[in-house]
Amino acid sequence: MSDTVFELKDVHYSYLGKFPALCGVNMTIRSGEKIAVIGANGTGKSTLLQLLDGLIFPDRGTVTAFGERLLEHSQDNEKAAHRFRQRVGLVFQNADIQLFCPSVREDIAFGPLQFGVAEDEVSRRILEVAEVLDIQHLLDRVPHQLSIGEKRRVAIASVLAIDPDVYLFDEPTAGLDPLTVRHIIDFIVNANQRGKTIITATHDLHIIGEIADTVYVFGRNKSIVRGGSSESVLNDRSLLESNNLIHMHRHHHDGREHVHQHLPLEPHD
Amino acid sequence: MTNPAHKKHDFIGRSVLSALAFLKDATLSEEYANRKGFLQSLDPRFKTISFLLFLVTVVSLKSIVLISPFYLLCLILALLSGIPLRNFLLRTLFFIPLFSLFIVLPTLFSIVTPGEPVWSFHVVGITGIITRPGLDGAVLFVVRIATSVSLVVLLSVTTRHSELLKVLRVFGIPQLFVLTVSMCYRYLYLFATMVENIFTAVKSRVGVVSHQRQGQNVVAWNIANTWNRTTQMSEEVYMAMISRGYTGEPRLLSKFHATPKDWLWLLCAVVICASLFYRGHTL
Ligand SMILES: Nc1ncnc2c1ncn2[C@@H]1O[C@H](COP(=O)(O)OP(=O)(O)OP(=O)(O)O)[C@@H](O)[C@H]1O
Ligand SMILES: [Mg+2]
Repeated sequence: MSDTVFELKDVHYSYLGKFPALCGVNMTIRSGEKIAVIGANGTGKSTLLQLLDGLIFPDRGTVTAFGERLLEHSQDNEKAAHRFRQRVGLVFQNADIQLFCPSVREDIAFGPLQFGVAEDEVSRRILEVAEVLDIQHLLDRVPHQLSIGEKRRVAIASVLAIDPDVYLFDEPTAGLDPLTVRHIIDFIVNANQRGKTIITATHDLHIIGEIADTVYVFGRNKSIVRGGSSESVLNDRSLLESNNLIHMHRHHHDGREHVHQHLPLEPHD
Repeated sequence: MTNPAHKKHDFIGRSVLSALAFLKDATLSEEYANRKGFLQSLDPRFKTISFLLFLVTVVSLKSIVLISPFYLLCLILALLSGIPLRNFLLRTLFFIPLFSLFIVLPTLFSIVTPGEPVWSFHVVGITGIITRPGLDGAVLFVVRIATSVSLVVLLSVTTRHSELLKVLRVFGIPQLFVLTVSMCYRYLYLFATMVENIFTAVKSRVGVVSHQRQGQNVVAWNIANTWNRTTQMSEEVYMAMISRGYTGEPRLLSKFHATPKDWLWLLCAVVICASLFYRGHTL
């Protein structure tokens, strides 16, 4: 199958050999798909994205990307490494980690410059990307002095400047105001319409309907407990509840106590 | 509860916090560099070269009359660059020459600089004599230091640190060094903020429990935690660099844009330095 982007077979990963983070994950992701990975804290979502980005490598099992196995030593060849890095971009969960340059402009430029893009072209891309993410006014600011939402947008811009085929987003909307969330969802949907493959790790069930066609639910056993279309997963309340993704809401109404679920898709009263 | 030990603890906490805030503000924030002003508008390369020229001239001149124009120049440049004079004077005149006084103090006395005594005094049987050449030399030294420090402060306050570092690039310092130092700078700020937050957190917890021992445990735990976070963070930052194509030889933006104004400025600097240098060595 030529349009398979990632194929994971029985992938196991543990930190320092003793903290298991992924246990037996199987997954096939095709070009142009919109995928969401949901799960409670510590179920291995970030670990999965780092595996897909070739930053860490499985203890057991195989990760195949674009028809080739992802191996640690395949990164030794600069050309091969660059080819992969130009096709896959990861927006980290922690923007403070991702933005390590002294100015926003340089952070956006970092990726393209590593790939040998000429400085004139890089300058052009900086402006283009800044316009898409509405951060023109931040270009000369210092990244660590920005607000969380501004940092997130700069982090996305730094990946967009590379223009990869596959975007990996780790909690792109956590801690953001509704308008910024909207902006980021639109960005994701737009990128997907341009043919990009999107894989998002999130807790935010409200946005899943828009940013994913297929949803994988990660459980406490650190593997996929359910995978399927976003509607079918979102409608399976007992699944979501048992995986800490929705919770019971208890409050008073006209003096009477009242319990209901906090549902992902409907606004609650 | 009016426990004096408690009050003292609080005082130390507050001093540490304000010291940190000052450090962050004085060294890491680039408030003035981001303002619009004359020095900020110059190309960092031209600015650095012209200031080096000033510095060399100031150090080589041996007359207060010839050095003081440079000090005046500093004040004018500070004003043109949106730096409040009070702030600028505080930084230069007060803090740094204080240190140089320790260097200059011994040269005042007759043992080090012999000459006509100006003032003598007796302390526990030892006679100290301040000499005329010694005093003149000291005043010259202080003026020279004050001017040099003003120049350095002016340059560093109006230029972003990352740009100063990039100027080093122009002088042939490797890119890896520039990247590393600029990253240290950036994360230093983050750690200062982290320590600040931890301090506030500890204080709020100690405030509730008001139990010295428990407070100490929280401090110890947090220091360990900060260390762990530091090492983990550097690993993660490395991953973030790898993810965007870093393979060991960083490539950074290096373009500077020199304008006619920069050349004009450099010309002025050369003329000022040359004429004062000439006066200084023909007088
Ligand atoms: N650097 C590390 N060292 C040791 N264990 C780690 C490390 N990073 C993650 N883990 C462990 O691996 C597991 C999976 O972590 P991961 O960060 O992938 O979870 P996550 O689903 O992204 O969680 P969150 O929603 O909180 O971001 C957790 O049990 C965590 O404790
Ligand atoms: Mg995570």
